[in-house]
Amino acid sequence: MINWAQVLFNSAVTGSLYLLAAVGLTLTYGLTRFPNFAHAEFMAFGAYAGYAIAEQLKLGFQYSIFAAFLASAIMGAASYLLVFRPLTKRGATIIHLMVASIGLGFFVRHSIQEIWGGSPLTFRITWGYFDVGPIRMTSIWIIMICSALIMALIMHFILTKTMMGKAIRASANNPDLAMASGVNVEKVALVVWMIGAALAGVGGLFRAADTRLVPLIGWEILLPAFAVVILGGIGSFYGALIAAYTLGLAENLGVILLITLNLSTDYRFAIAFIILILTLIFRPQGFGKLFGEAG
Amino acid sequence: MRLVKLGDPLIYILDMAAFIGIFAILAISLNLEYGFTGLANFGKVAFFMVGAYASSIMANLGYPYLLCLIVAIIIAGIVGLLASLPALKLRADYLAIVTLAFGEILRYIIKNEEWIAKGVQGITVPSAITIAGISIRTMMLLQLTIIYAALAVCYLITQLLVNSPYGRVVRAIREDELATQVLGKDVFKYKAQIFAVGSAIAGISGSLFAQYVRLINPYMFEPIVTFTIWMMVILGGPANNLGVILGAAFVQALERGARIVKDYLLLPVDPHNLRIILIGLLIIIILMYRPQGLMKESKIKTSALEVSSKWRKKSSKQ
Repeated sequence: MINWAQVLFNSAVTGSLYLLAAVGLTLTYGLTRFPNFAHAEFMAFGAYAGYAIAEQLKLGFQYSIFAAFLASAIMGAASYLLVFRPLTKRGATIIHLMVASIGLGFFVRHSIQEIWGGSPLTFRITWGYFDVGPIRMTSIWIIMICSALIMALIMHFILTKTMMGKAIRASANNPDLAMASGVNVEKVALVVWMIGAALAGVGGLFRAADTRLVPLIGWEILLPAFAVVILGGIGSFYGALIAAYTLGLAENLGVILLITLNLSTDYRFAIAFIILILTLIFRPQGFGKLFGEAG
Repeated sequence: MRLVKLGDPLIYILDMAAFIGIFAILAISLNLEYGFTGLANFGKVAFFMVGAYASSIMANLGYPYLLCLIVAIIIAGIVGLLASLPALKLRADYLAIVTLAFGEILRYIIKNEEWIAKGVQGITVPSAITIAGISIRTMMLLQLTIIYAALAVCYLITQLLVNSPYGRVVRAIREDELATQVLGKDVFKYKAQIFAVGSAIAGISGSLFAQYVRLINPYMFEPIVTFTIWMMVILGGPANNLGVILGAAFVQALERGARIVKDYLLLPVDPHNLRIILIGLLIIIILMYRPQGLMKESKIKTSALEVSSKWRKKSSKQ
């Protein structure tokens, strides 16, 4: 007998993680117009920075969230200022930018491996199980869902109510026109790279605290993150919001299917690949156009 | 399992030459896709892997090597075509994401499904050369002959292809897809064909690699392999086949050099990490300061070009 309430709750947890991972990816993709494969390493770097604060300096887990946010924001800014902006200014093509982002990813991931080692690390903090009705949950899962929702609300507020948000949307929509209207497009891009990387860092930290911490922690969920970005429509924040939870649900339903088919549940990430392919075949623009100009 | 016996410097050099040949074939196949056609294949290693596994499974069933090689070429070509189809009509970035993901999933399947090829344990592969009582040196020389013969064939075929009218269409697609379409060319068909041919060439390389190293496992086919090939192409000069062969030789020599240094020096850092950190850094530096690579794309010699160059000379004399 399948506990459907549990399946829905698990989908919300998975979806929240994917949302945190994908928001920055979709915004930078829409604004600087290339998929940043080093985004995976923003997640990993945030997680390791959090680990350093929580476990190596023995401060509390709440501080490590700030550490992850801050460390990844700095890394996002550095990547944009030192690698991607100079490359764009030298007239790099989209393929050059993609290859450079992969190169950056290898550089960061193996630097992490050099500093913290390649073997799995765990957080000392344990997350007790408790039952609410038919649903079994842990506190880290609740934290993940709440953080994703709070983040979504703040992002919605920023994008619709502030000058910065309007500048972000204008620059993504038409950079030349935005520039002509007095928007500092480069500053906007820098802010988006920082916010996006910071959120990815927090997502990476949550995933590490929930499971274990390895240098590949970001790379492992880069494929679902890309599936969310494409399904949601590149650059669309609201599209990503819906797509993240859709993918979370699809993945948890897929796991049930895998179990009934007697296949390894390790194939759960293949579900993201199938969704990615189906989107490309049937609706390559994703959910993007559903939201008009707001995304 | 590699045929290297430490202490014989000649073997060391021959082994390096073999790897240069194998990777030069891969670099040519990526050059056909990226350099000439502008396709971003971020899953090159997947088709290399398909070739290696298809050939090895056939060889373990007792078929002669030539048949294994042909099967590897065909299967790699078909898999390449199928993997690229969903994204070929879209922009370059979609193709990059799909091929990268495809490579990872394929590696995962080989790792998990032990019935295919013993999973992480890997499978041993019989060598293509089966002569009893042969010395290691002769064996290596025979191996090198096979590998470089294959490289020569791949080089000639791609040179003929890219300098033909077909190749001019393909280069036109790279420069301006819309304009090529307006000229009445079926851009999608050309791209799919190039991707299939590129994957088939990667299959040749995979087959040669497997029978040379004699043991293959999924860990040999990680994404870093794809990006060493990208580095060879970008460093050597996209759309210049001699350039990318040079790039392959340079990058392989660098990797080998790092390995030799590791044997003699005690480094404070893990050499495996250091190697990949350097590759990542070098890719960015090359893209930043010399994106056109060491060698430039050569002009296609057509009769029209000859006439126009004569005319240009005449007019400059006057």
